Amino acid sequence: MSVAEIDISSLQAEALLTGKPEPLILTYWRRLRRHRLATASLIALILIILSVVLGPIIMSRMTYFNVARNEEINYSRDTQDLRNINAAPSLEHPMGTDELGRDVLFRILMAGRLSLFIAFTVVILSESFGMFLGAVSGYYGGRTDSLIQRLTEFVIILPTLPLLLTLSSILRDLQIPFLPAEWGQAVVIIAILTIFGWTGSCRLSRGMVLSLRNQEFTEASRALGMSNFQIISRHMMPNALPPIIVNASLALGGVIVLESALSFLGFGIQPPVATWGNMLQGVQKDMFTAPWKALYPGLMIFVTTLAFNYLGDGLRDAIDPRLKL
Amino acid sequence: MTAYLIRRGLQMIMVVILATIAIFALLNAVPGGPLSGLNMAVGAKNRLSPQEIARIEQTLGLNKPFYLSYLTWLLGEDWLDEVGNMIGNPGPAEKMFTTGTWADLQSPQCAAAGGTNQGTPEGKRPPCGRGVMRWDWGESWKLARGQTVTSVIGSRIKNTLILMSTVTLISLVIAIPIGIISAVRQYSKMDYAVTTFSFFGIAMPVFWFGLLMIILFTLKFREWGLPYFPSGDVFTTRVTPGSIQDVLGITPYTMADRIVHLFLPVTVLTLLYLAGWSRFMRSSMLEVLRQDYVRTARAKGLHERAVIAKHAARNALIPLITIVVFQIPGIFSGAILTETIFNYPGMGRLFIDALGRDDWPIVMAILFITAILVVVATLIGDILYTIVDPRIRFD
Repeated sequence: MSVAEIDISSLQAEALLTGKPEPLILTYWRRLRRHRLATASLIALILIILSVVLGPIIMSRMTYFNVARNEEINYSRDTQDLRNINAAPSLEHPMGTDELGRDVLFRILMAGRLSLFIAFTVVILSESFGMFLGAVSGYYGGRTDSLIQRLTEFVIILPTLPLLLTLSSILRDLQIPFLPAEWGQAVVIIAILTIFGWTGSCRLSRGMVLSLRNQEFTEASRALGMSNFQIISRHMMPNALPPIIVNASLALGGVIVLESALSFLGFGIQPPVATWGNMLQGVQKDMFTAPWKALYPGLMIFVTTLAFNYLGDGLRDAIDPRLKL
Repeated sequence: MTAYLIRRGLQMIMVVILATIAIFALLNAVPGGPLSGLNMAVGAKNRLSPQEIARIEQTLGLNKPFYLSYLTWLLGEDWLDEVGNMIGNPGPAEKMFTTGTWADLQSPQCAAAGGTNQGTPEGKRPPCGRGVMRWDWGESWKLARGQTVTSVIGSRIKNTLILMSTVTLISLVIAIPIGIISAVRQYSKMDYAVTTFSFFGIAMPVFWFGLLMIILFTLKFREWGLPYFPSGDVFTTRVTPGSIQDVLGITPYTMADRIVHLFLPVTVLTLLYLAGWSRFMRSSMLEVLRQDYVRTARAKGLHERAVIAKHAARNALIPLITIVVFQIPGIFSGAILTETIFNYPGMGRLFIDALGRDDWPIVMAILFITAILVVVATLIGDILYTIVDPRIRFD
């Protein structure tokens, strides 16, 4: 054993003894900050979320000149201006107006609220459902495990996009009691995307739990008289969380693209409610007269998805570089 | 292995059957559907009488409970009579169904023929549906009313196969070397370019990218006086001055015409596939380059090129091949989004059109075939794993 090695290990031991251990989350944060693109993505995402949340509030207090009504009125999502349709970007309408004379910027911000809300809800639901199922599957093993694994395989095998389209076309007109139509559609989309989205996190958390289940601390908790459910919820799931978070960040981008694809094809959220996907729906027929309409909604989808992917990449490097996702 | 394959095969059949049953149940359970638009006409005179609606329902087979319509879809309706006779219930069947007799459950032309296909002249379409299992996919309801589903799909499948095989081929030919090079020169400028490109490609919504391509290559090119590309379809009917067909002297309905039309969709899809596959190839290659046998190959003095081409790349290709196999079903069902944007008459757009107009026989046929292909591709992928890597065992 060389001198240098002893030195290092003794130094480390000393550091462990004297210093208070750094919380894990701070370590992750420090490592994430080294990934420049991920940091930039995080900032971009925060900016997008802020502008989507605050933008409409501010803009709805500002006014513009509505040509058809011949008066100054407040910006809003659905107010039409049929005398000023497909206008090019200007000071009043920074992203132009659409085929009904509605302000595109305002609609993009409102659409962002819905798109991001759907994406976050789907990912939170599907990741936590998958995590729970995976933990149960890995913890109990045996018949439970093989049953859940068969179910996972079944969902993975299904052709996703055709089935998503079929399901949402069938359920498009479904009315959910006590909910306005636009929320009903959002609930349907969220449900459908969740049904197809939980398999990844299920497999991840099963893998983690399989490696944790026979470790000493699990045995200790069992000896202390904790029930299986308590062990799963207190020890298994929190330990499986880091890879799930990485997976969730990558999944957010995927869900945004998928939802906008559904809406673009007319099988998702229906107009006049705006999402980034359905704002691109009608642009093809006006493309030769107003090509800029195609630009901004797609750009929002692209930038947001890219940012989530880079963030996921950075998180993976920060949490566990060996993770294969 | 054999036991595994048999178990797996049975499991796959279950998957297909369960999936189709679920879709059938949903299609039938949810309000709306093909009849929802029928009674919207203004004025009592233009509305359909309940009898007429019942007749339409019977023609489309919507009067049956869903499990029975699933069975007739799968196995045909010419056996309904015989089973009815066997149970001894050729008369009113109110106990079992709300409709009258077994014959009422058949389509009118089938009931008129006595519920049997016997005595149908050669070459004529038999009056009773024979079911998917006997290669009778039924008739289209709306998109091409009266035509068989097989002929509708047959008219589209060639276009999709041409598009998707071109895309697969080009993407593979480019993705493999790109992945290898960027792995061998990890952290070089080239590597960063490839990684960035694949990140962009994965985040890019394909329908938006398609729109941008049309804006650039059709719209802007025309504005700038450059030879512009057609924005959709497979053939031109009339060559417009200034278009690329005009400049290159391409006559409509030729091979060259098809290639010109393929250019934009192929570019969009290729970039999409390329992004995923080159990234996959890169990480797989990085994995292999760390292996001991690569070090051994270098240690015995092999040329670096030989190490990479013969020892590393070959092994790195294995996972990529299985990924490509898993995507075979996509080659059939087509690129739904791309085909829609470029107005390309293939399977993907057929599926969207059929869905939008509640043409269930077509929807069911495409879903069924896709499900079977997915299942078969998964099985082939599994088998390929064991063949290329004997260390993997299934039992």
